[in-house]
Amino acid sequence: MKSEVIRLGIQTDHDTQVIDITDRVKEAARSTGVQNGVCYATTMHTTSGIMVNEGLPDVEDDIISMLQRTAPELRDDHRHQRFLPSDGQMAVNSCSHQRSHLTGMQVAFPVQDGELVMGGRQTIYFAEFDGPLYREFIVHVIGV
Amino acid sequence: MTRIDFRTYPVQVQEFFDLEPGLREPVVDVFGFYCSTQPLATYLAQLDEAGLDSAVMVALDCTTAHKSSVATNEQLADLMKLSERIIGFASVDPSDAGAPQKLRTAVDDLGLSGLNLDPALQQFEPADEGTAFPVFEAAQDLGIPVSIAVGHNWAPIAPTSAFTPMSLEPAISAFPELDFVIPHVGWPYVQEALALAIKYPNVHLDTSVLYGGRPESSLRRVLADQVGLDVCEASLREKLVFASDYPRVDPKRFVRAMQMLEFRPVTEQQILGGNAERLLGKKAAKNVSTTESKKGSL
Repeated sequence: MKSEVIRLGIQTDHDTQVIDITDRVKEAARSTGVQNGVCYATTMHTTSGIMVNEGLPDVEDDIISMLQRTAPELRDDHRHQRFLPSDGQMAVNSCSHQRSHLTGMQVAFPVQDGELVMGGRQTIYFAEFDGPLYREFIVHVIGV
Repeated sequence: MTRIDFRTYPVQVQEFFDLEPGLREPVVDVFGFYCSTQPLATYLAQLDEAGLDSAVMVALDCTTAHKSSVATNEQLADLMKLSERIIGFASVDPSDAGAPQKLRTAVDDLGLSGLNLDPALQQFEPADEGTAFPVFEAAQDLGIPVSIAVGHNWAPIAPTSAFTPMSLEPAISAFPELDFVIPHVGWPYVQEALALAIKYPNVHLDTSVLYGGRPESSLRRVLADQVGLDVCEASLREKLVFASDYPRVDPKRFVRAMQMLEFRPVTEQQILGGNAERLLGKKAAKNVSTTESKKGSL
């Protein structure tokens, strides 16, 4: 049994955006040499997410709109809007955490004959909810 | 018109720490900032997202008080070489007799455009004619603005009550040609800062009001509820200077907070850049004037 973790960086450009990382995840999985097993893609942050959906701009826009409606920013009843002494900065991104929570931190796909097993319309996205930031996600492949 | 963030610190920029080992210690122990760094390119993208063109990044010389600098003038000058969008402000330690000359060197040789002082953190008395006044005099001669912190201070070791805006009045009146910029509208001593800004032509207020709630709510409580939007429009249009205090908060949210106050367009333009451009332009105007004067004397 082999277990390999690959750490990948990504520069986001906007406050909120989804970035297609399908090819990067596939390539990372391939590079491990694992022929049969499972591949996880996981964000390393709490204000971003990893998601899978159809790779169309209108679908992307609608998902972002849904998240912004469901977890709006300008609310007075958030508690996570205060100075955070452990950071030395203001924590005023409650909506970013909520959108991350709704999206999820991880997706998993089977690996068969050295390749990810994915549906034809499935695209893997890194979802940014508090950018622009330099982010990291990991690809973890377990198998033989 | 250029949109400028008038006060930020370089303490989350990775390239700043790449300049010199050991910079992390004063950032943690003196300034009280503990987050991981981001590349300079990311910070510039954050300016883009906020709709800002440039940012003032400040040095902070705490040599006498804490035996270190949060950022030196030379480090700021090096950062400026990496991006023309960074406007460096020098800092000198007024307790150092050589401070006026160091300031002249920082401006004339390193290309820095202003002076940053923090009396509570640097532990000096801004009304002291023997220590602080020679520094103010040098700044006035150079034609640069001084950003000087009073009131609330997020650095854990800096006392909030040490200096209120009124503690600056002796210097403000003694140096009428020197532009003083009081951060975060002097919060929590807002009325003192307001009184000074209304009375003295050389007093300005930066907008980085941050104490709790969202930037939108804290800025509204101070500028709308405590100062009054009508007073801002009528008396402070030329006096308010946009600043975020990055990395204490991200600039995108602070620009939005400013825009949500719905000032008249001309007022908003002045706050987001026009006033800063004027303050920063004095040095250039002074240089032209000096050159013309020299030409005339030949």
